[in-house]
Amino acid sequence: MSEKPLRGGRAADDGSAARIPRDAIAGTGVLLFCLAAYLVTLTFKEAPPALAQNVQPATFPRLVLAVMAVLATVIIVMSFRLPDKQPKPIRLMVWPSAAVMVGFVIAFEILGILPAMMLLCFGLPMLWGEQRLYLIIPYAILFPLAIYGLFAVVLGVHFEPSPLVFW
Amino acid sequence: MDVFLTTAAMFADPYLIGVILIGTVGGVLVGAMPGLSSTMATALLLPFTLTMEPIPAIALLSALYCAGTFGGSITAILVNAPGAPPAAATAFDGYPLAQQGRAGLALGIATVSSTIGGIFSIIVLIVAAPMLARVAYDFGPPEYFALALFGLSMLASISGESAFKNLLGGAFGVLLATIGMDFTTGVDRFTFGFWELSEGVHFIPVMIGLFAGAEFLTQAGNLDRKMVRAAIDAVKLPSWPDFRGTLGTVARSCGIGAFIGLLPAEGGTVAAMIGYNEAKRWAKDKSKFGKGDLRGIAGPETANNAATGAAMVPTLALGIPGSATTAVILGALLVHGLRPGPHLFNETPTLLYGIFIAMLLANLMFMGLGLLGAKLFARVTLIPTRFLWPAVFILACIGSYALEQAIMDVWIMIIAGLAGYFLKRFGFSAAPIIMGLILGELVENSLKQSLIIFDHSWLGFLERPIVVVFILLTAISFAMPVIAGYRDRLRAKMPPSADIPGD
Repeated sequence: MSEKPLRGGRAADDGSAARIPRDAIAGTGVLLFCLAAYLVTLTFKEAPPALAQNVQPATFPRLVLAVMAVLATVIIVMSFRLPDKQPKPIRLMVWPSAAVMVGFVIAFEILGILPAMMLLCFGLPMLWGEQRLYLIIPYAILFPLAIYGLFAVVLGVHFEPSPLVFW
Repeated sequence: MDVFLTTAAMFADPYLIGVILIGTVGGVLVGAMPGLSSTMATALLLPFTLTMEPIPAIALLSALYCAGTFGGSITAILVNAPGAPPAAATAFDGYPLAQQGRAGLALGIATVSSTIGGIFSIIVLIVAAPMLARVAYDFGPPEYFALALFGLSMLASISGESAFKNLLGGAFGVLLATIGMDFTTGVDRFTFGFWELSEGVHFIPVMIGLFAGAEFLTQAGNLDRKMVRAAIDAVKLPSWPDFRGTLGTVARSCGIGAFIGLLPAEGGTVAAMIGYNEAKRWAKDKSKFGKGDLRGIAGPETANNAATGAAMVPTLALGIPGSATTAVILGALLVHGLRPGPHLFNETPTLLYGIFIAMLLANLMFMGLGLLGAKLFARVTLIPTRFLWPAVFILACIGSYALEQAIMDVWIMIIAGLAGYFLKRFGFSAAPIIMGLILGELVENSLKQSLIIFDHSWLGFLERPIVVVFILLTAISFAMPVIAGYRDRLRAKMPPSADIPGD
C-alpha cells in the first residue's frame, strides 16, 4: 500500500487505480456506527413523564449521535478535497498479539491470574522472536510473582480463585 | 497561612518525601521510555494508590506527572524518539545537537528550562486556582454545562490530525459516558443485558486501553525497529552565555505554557509545539533551528513543563481536566472520595497545598536527577521491547481489574485497546475520547438540570452572562480550526514571494 499522499479518491501519479480516501472510510464507519447505536436507542424503555421531566433516557444519546453523524459527514466531504493519507499495512505480528490480549483475559478467568501471567510472560516474548530461554524463564516466573505479591498481598486486591487452579 | 504551614510540616515526613521521590524517579523513567507516557503511567499507577491516604496518593501522581513531562526529553535528545508526546518538539534540535557530540549540553538546557517552566507553573497554580475557584463557587448547572461544552470545543485545537476528528472523538467519549443507568429515570442504556455496565464505564480502564493497549499493538508491529542512541557525555549545566541566549525564549515559553495549560483539555504537547514555533518565530537567526539550536530545546521544554501546574488549575478549581494526565489525577481524586471543584478549596485545603508542595519538590528533584542521572535514565531504552511490553500489558490488565476488582473492566480495557489501535490508524487520537468520557456525565446532567431550571426553554441559557461568555468562547474555539484551515489553503495558493517572513 502506498504511503504517498494522494488527492482524495484520485488516481496516483503512477497510474494505480483510484482508491477511497481513508477518511471517507472512517467517516462511513462512524455513520454506520451512529445508525446502529440509534437503533439501539429505540430499545430503551420510556420513563413516565413525571420522572423523565420531558427528557427521556434516549434523548441525550440521540443528540450526541446526531452531532457525531454531522461531524462524520463533514469528514467524508473533506476527505475528497484534502490530500489522502493511506494507513500503513498492518504488520503480521499485530494479529497474533491482539489474539494474545483476548486470550490473556480468558486465561485470567479460567486459570486464575498467576498462571495466566506466567503463560503470557513465557509465550509472548517467544512469539515476538525472543529465543534466550535463560532470560525468558526467570522473567516468566519472577515478574508474575512480584506483581501478584504486590497487588494481592501488599495492596490487598482480591483475585477470584480459578475454577481450575487453586490460586 | 496556618494550613500551608501545617501541610508543609507534613512534608518533613520521610514517607511523603520517599513517595514523591519514587514518583519523580518513576516519572523520569517512564517519560524516557518511548511509547510510555506520563498519562499512561499515572493511569497504570492509580490502582497502586488505592490503599494510600489521599495526600500521598495525589502527591505521587502529581510528581509522576511533572517528572514524566521532563523525562520525555531524554530520549528525544538521545534517540530522536520522544519518550512522551510533549517532548516531540524537543527532538527537532535536541537530537542534532546530540549527534554533534553535545548531548550533555542539550540535556543540561532541557533540565534547567524544564525546571524553570515547572516552577513557574506551580506559581500560576497557587495564584490562579483559588481565584478561579472563587469565581466558580457561584456556578450553577447552566454555567457548568456551558463550561463543559467549552472544554469539549477546545478539543478542536489540541494536537492531532484533524480538528473534526478530535471533536468526533470527544463526542464519542460523551456517548460512552451515557452507557449505564440514566440517573434521573433509572433506565439502562447501552448495557446489552450486562448488569456490570449499569454503573457505567469507568474512564480508567478505557484510558489504559486507549493508551497502553493500543500502544502494545503498535509496538508488536514495530519489533524490528532498532533505536540508535547518540553517545552521551556528562550532563552539564549550560554556561552563562548559552543560558543568556535562551532567556527570552524561556520567559516567553513560561507564559505560553501556562496559558495553554490553563485552557481546558489542552496540555503539554500543544504548549511544546507552540513554544517551539514561537522560539523560532522570534529568533533573529533562524538558520540553526533544526540543526541544534539551544532555543529549540529551551522553548518546548519550558512550555510543556509550564503547562503541568497550569493544567491542574481547571482540574482542581472546576473539575474540568486541563490535560489527559490531569484527567487521571481528577479520576484519582474521585477514587479517593474527593470532589474536584471549588468546594475542594474549602473542604480540603491541606490536600491542595500538598499538591502544590509535591509538584514543587518533584521539579527540584527531577532537576537533580536530570543533571546527575540522565545518562543512567537513558539506559531504559536498552530494555528489550519483547520483555518490556508484556510487562506493561500485564500491568494494564491488573490495573484495570484492581480499580473495581471486576473482570468486566479488563474486557473494557481490551476492547478500548483494540479500538484505539484501529482508531489511531484512521487518524483519531485517544485524548479527545477520554476528555469526552470524563466530561460526558457533567454535560448530560448539567444540561438536564438547566432545562428543568429554564422550564425546557433553550433561550434561558442566554439570560446568564457567564453562559453567554462561554458560548461565545465555544463558538470561537469551533471556528478557529476552520479559519486556520482556510488561511493555510489560501497561503498554499499564494506564490512563495507573497508569504510574509516570520508570520
